[in-house]
Amino acid sequence: MSRSLDRTFRSASARVVGVLAARYRDLDLAEEAFAEACARAAEAWRSTRPERPDGWLYAVAQRCALDLLRKREVRERHIAGEIAADAGAEAAMDEELQFIPDERLRLIFVCCHPAIAPDARAALTLRTVCGLRTAEIAHAFLTSETALAQRLVRAKRKIAEAGVPFEIPGPNLWAERLDAVLSTLEVAYSKAHEDAAAAGPHAPYAEEMLNLSKVLADLIPDEADVLAFAALVRFCEARRPARTDAQGCMIPLAEQDPARWDRALIDEGDRYLKRAFALQASSARLLQAGIHATWCVRKSLDEPPPWPKVLALYDSLASISDNPVTRLNRIVALAEVRGCAAALEEIAGLESAGMDGFLPYHAVRADLFCRAGRSALARSEYDRALALCPGAAEAQWLRRRRDAQLDS
Amino acid sequence: MQYALLIYENESVYGPEKNNPALREIVAKHMSFKEELGSKRIGGAGLAGSGVATTLRFGNGTKTVHDGPFAETKEQLGGFYLIEAADLDEAIGIAKRVPLSPDGAVEIRPLLGG
Repeated sequence: MSRSLDRTFRSASARVVGVLAARYRDLDLAEEAFAEACARAAEAWRSTRPERPDGWLYAVAQRCALDLLRKREVRERHIAGEIAADAGAEAAMDEELQFIPDERLRLIFVCCHPAIAPDARAALTLRTVCGLRTAEIAHAFLTSETALAQRLVRAKRKIAEAGVPFEIPGPNLWAERLDAVLSTLEVAYSKAHEDAAAAGPHAPYAEEMLNLSKVLADLIPDEADVLAFAALVRFCEARRPARTDAQGCMIPLAEQDPARWDRALIDEGDRYLKRAFALQASSARLLQAGIHATWCVRKSLDEPPPWPKVLALYDSLASISDNPVTRLNRIVALAEVRGCAAALEEIAGLESAGMDGFLPYHAVRADLFCRAGRSALARSEYDRALALCPGAAEAQWLRRRRDAQLDS
Repeated sequence: MQYALLIYENESVYGPEKNNPALREIVAKHMSFKEELGSKRIGGAGLAGSGVATTLRFGNGTKTVHDGPFAETKEQLGGFYLIEAADLDEAIGIAKRVPLSPDGAVEIRPLLGG
């Protein structure tokens, strides 16, 4: 399949699947109908492409859904006064699609319903809302395609049979629902963010997260955490052009040239964060976005990196959300501000925190051992980090650092 | 849709006696909850303690009768409501209002064909 065709399908996927799933309250049916429409498009568009591919896909998927329902012999249960899919209806449907609101948000709330197993939520969101293929998601989550497919099947069955509503919940439920939604999007985004070169299997949804966080912020503009997440994604994506060098090797944050950061995106992030702080004085998500904002203030490599401010923010973050990952990030800043000995002392406290499979843990330890002149320990930590399948840019950087240890 | 709300509680909270104050209190709460539910409630009942339960097991081609509940766990099924709800969210909303002893749980199960 050509790249442009693939892109068209991906961008239409969430809207079309969303509309059909909402209408028939059946994710499986919607996905199957959309897949069939894509297969027919690949054939039909060889000669001419329709003016509005989304409308075409929607019209055909709609017809496929009806066919599938007929085949399943449950037609009478699901369709009451449904549109007849005749030849003349295509233009009307094309029109209709223009007025259908973005369905992605509704779908996100369905996929992140608390009745769905937490480990299935992010995968289901990426599959349904971002249109990623099962194989791609399996790769990103380091699991087998079969295992992931089973998890998705179970989750979709639960949605259909337990009666999970295809509605955006009322504001009275946002407090308990938004957290699941934001956590899911954060997991999804962190997978894309780990890969500086955007060369890996999760690259396609970094941009999707810019869109989704905007959709969420537009629909729920009075929740500080929603705005903070939108800000965070912007700060992170703004720095992407500066995250790798000409050889495709990762450049650590403090060594990135701020001139290569995307200022327009940073300004957008700043606006979101300002609105968020106007609504709420503090939260873990506000502080996290605040840390990224602090970095993005830097204008050139001549300015010193903002480590003291970053450390102060991590201190605040640790006081409201103390977990090993926060502590590890704080240790990185601590090493810069108070020196390597203080950081080594702190990181010793993380030894039994279950971080053995967490790549950044080994990378940070390796760096601290380097600074302390303990080359052999540093080398073995770099090797452990490399064994945890980093992205291409990260792997190159880790290897460079490890080999530099060999020379000294 | 129709759902069963299955109530699991630690029975020892209510003690062995029938006129235990904790039991009288929760029964009164269930009575007024039943009123509140009105037509949303399509059925339900409280169950006698698992101490008087008898379990029939089917294994090796024969059915054998055992004294006791299906599973010996700290929490036991103590009663259930059958309710009518638009979707899982409404069912969860109703389940949240079910009178419950501390550490109890309510399992929400759609009825087949409901």
